[in-house]
Amino acid sequence: MTLPPMRQLTLDLLPEAAPSLDNFVAGGNGEALAGLAAWLTPDNRESALYLWGEAGAGKTHLLRASGAHYHDGAADPDLAGGAESSEPAGLHAVDNVEALGEAGQIALFNLFNRLRAAGGKLLTAGTQPPQQLKLREDLRTRLGYGLIYRLLPLTDAEKIAALAAQAAARGLRLPPDALDYLLARAPRDMRSLSALLAALDRYSLEQKRPITLPLLREVLQGPHGAGPAAPGSLPPENRHA
Amino acid sequence: MSSFWTSCLSQFEQELPPQQFNTWIRPLRLEGEEDIANGLRLLAPNGFILKWVKERYLTRIEELGTAYFSVPVSISLLLGEKKTVAPAPSAAAAPLQTTAAPMIGGLRSAAETLPTPMPAPVRSTSSYEKTRLIAGFTFDNLIVGKANDLARAAATQVSLNPGGAAYNPLFIYGGAGLGKTHLIHAIGNQILVQNPDKVVRYVHAEDYYSDVVRAYQQKSFDVFKRYYRSLDVLLLDDVQFFNGKNRTQEEFFYVFNALIEAKKQIVISCDTYPKDISGLEDRLITRFDWGLTVQIEPPETEMRVAILKKKAEAEGVALDDEVAFFIAKHLRSNVRELEGALKKVLAYSSFHGRQIALDLAKEALKDLIGAVNRQITVENIQKTVADYFKIKVSDLFSKKRTRVIARPRQVAMWLAKDLTSQSYPSIGDAFGGRDHTTVLHAVRTIDSLRAKDNELNHDLHVLLQVLKG
Repeated sequence: MTLPPMRQLTLDLLPEAAPSLDNFVAGGNGEALAGLAAWLTPDNRESALYLWGEAGAGKTHLLRASGAHYHDGAADPDLAGGAESSEPAGLHAVDNVEALGEAGQIALFNLFNRLRAAGGKLLTAGTQPPQQLKLREDLRTRLGYGLIYRLLPLTDAEKIAALAAQAAARGLRLPPDALDYLLARAPRDMRSLSALLAALDRYSLEQKRPITLPLLREVLQGPHGAGPAAPGSLPPENRHA
Repeated sequence: MSSFWTSCLSQFEQELPPQQFNTWIRPLRLEGEEDIANGLRLLAPNGFILKWVKERYLTRIEELGTAYFSVPVSISLLLGEKKTVAPAPSAAAAPLQTTAAPMIGGLRSAAETLPTPMPAPVRSTSSYEKTRLIAGFTFDNLIVGKANDLARAAATQVSLNPGGAAYNPLFIYGGAGLGKTHLIHAIGNQILVQNPDKVVRYVHAEDYYSDVVRAYQQKSFDVFKRYYRSLDVLLLDDVQFFNGKNRTQEEFFYVFNALIEAKKQIVISCDTYPKDISGLEDRLITRFDWGLTVQIEPPETEMRVAILKKKAEAEGVALDDEVAFFIAKHLRSNVRELEGALKKVLAYSSFHGRQIALDLAKEALKDLIGAVNRQITVENIQKTVADYFKIKVSDLFSKKRTRVIARPRQVAMWLAKDLTSQSYPSIGDAFGGRDHTTVLHAVRTIDSLRAKDNELNHDLHVLLQVLKG
């Protein structure tokens, strides 16, 4: 028996949509989310809010979803990207503060002072509570001055529930242990997991095959010779379960 | 406000803790008329609230609508424009509204409930532009203790008599978050209260540097010089930021000389003693020493407790001793983070709709301070007891036998026995080489006293809570 010619698939593993509030899964972070929402209202005059938690807890997601001018300390340790020149009374977000270099720390210090004086707001995020940040003392204490919330990563059960809801929204019928399988083998942050689900949906349509564990395995391994089409969206070690 | 929405609000007020009500439900606004045929439209001020309400409360709002109108009502949630929200019952209008609408009287808006320790940040735009002074930083709301007593006295003198030779320049130094900026703003604000015609300018060293750079790029040094020399009072914050900026230092040197010569007041703040500032020219350092140099030290426990109580009071909250001590105990090094911790406790309390008590403070601060694993040592106990009874740690080691010293000493010994695994002899050693029988006696004395002495019992209770964290 001859197989039909294999169609090469391009799997778009980039997330479906930009981070927004609609695709943020709150899990155990209700208090943090409530605090952030109240803080973002124009009537709240507190000048700074700091979110901390381990990677994958949703810090970047919330910073991006807040509508702030977004700066990333990891990508731009000097905060050279105009953190100082932008509108003084606006809303600014600085992510990954622990990665800031000396110049970037001074830039954030200035940003804090200017926003506070002008009635603007500063949303920051890092991996440690302010007391444990290894930053300039004058900056570190400023981060510890505003409201502080810890973001907890979703538990596996919460991730599975969120993915099941996404799958239902897509009209996907998953075999019962598919999500456990996925969680055990794929990157465990929600962005990658949601992207994988979307990829699984498309792959199953292309192949005209129902979603089964073998199909899931194929998606996780990427098509032969091509690999996932979006380098960087998944770390290489996770492509081969 | 529509009567349906009013009744809806009062229903939610009963069903939800205040913070949740204030955060999610209070900011919503019913748009237009109560036209149930076309459905009701609720406006949310931002996407967070919109999403949260949609997920958690929309069903309940629809239920209430159905009950109110006796027919099923469709309710849609939309993002509201900022402008249209303002005149309506938004959070901004809420304080007024609470007096007008008795049904929701006594509630505080989200903006009020969440701590906003900064009073109105600017007195008026034009005045702020001119002076850059933050109106909320005054002498009145500066809490004084041993740590900043001298600095405050000097600052008050300067504000009464700006330009006086004995205090010019006034150089204030101290670590991060101890209130240097507050103090120098207070000087500026006080001078303007007494003499509104004075030209006062607050400038952070980084902004002064930016001014120099701008003057250099625009070749406008004349304007720059004329401006800074026209001031009656120059308040320069964080001069350590001049580190290695030679042109800035040179310009400041000339401004400094011109102002001092004209008997204009200069106040400078810094995070270290003048001689320890790195990257600063000697001729500047010498000049900083011409007037008066005062230090702000980290606040002692008593002052930290006072700060917490006063800040809490400003938020309309009375803070118990044990809660204040607990927070003060864990945030020792600066006032800024102390305030941050208090905000956390207040926000946590209103979110969960629970009274502020020690267990709540512990939960609220768990994520901030929990990571520090605290081990109870005899030293730790001595320090805490001395702070609590407002005596010196050395008094505990001394031979003094007056009651004000002896009782705290016995309390400390009792705590050391109770909270550590140290033996009687080693506890005796730790208290100035006392005999183990002295410790034994102390423990028995406290054990028998606490049964009949309520005040002592309260002291022990607070101390135990503080020490155990």
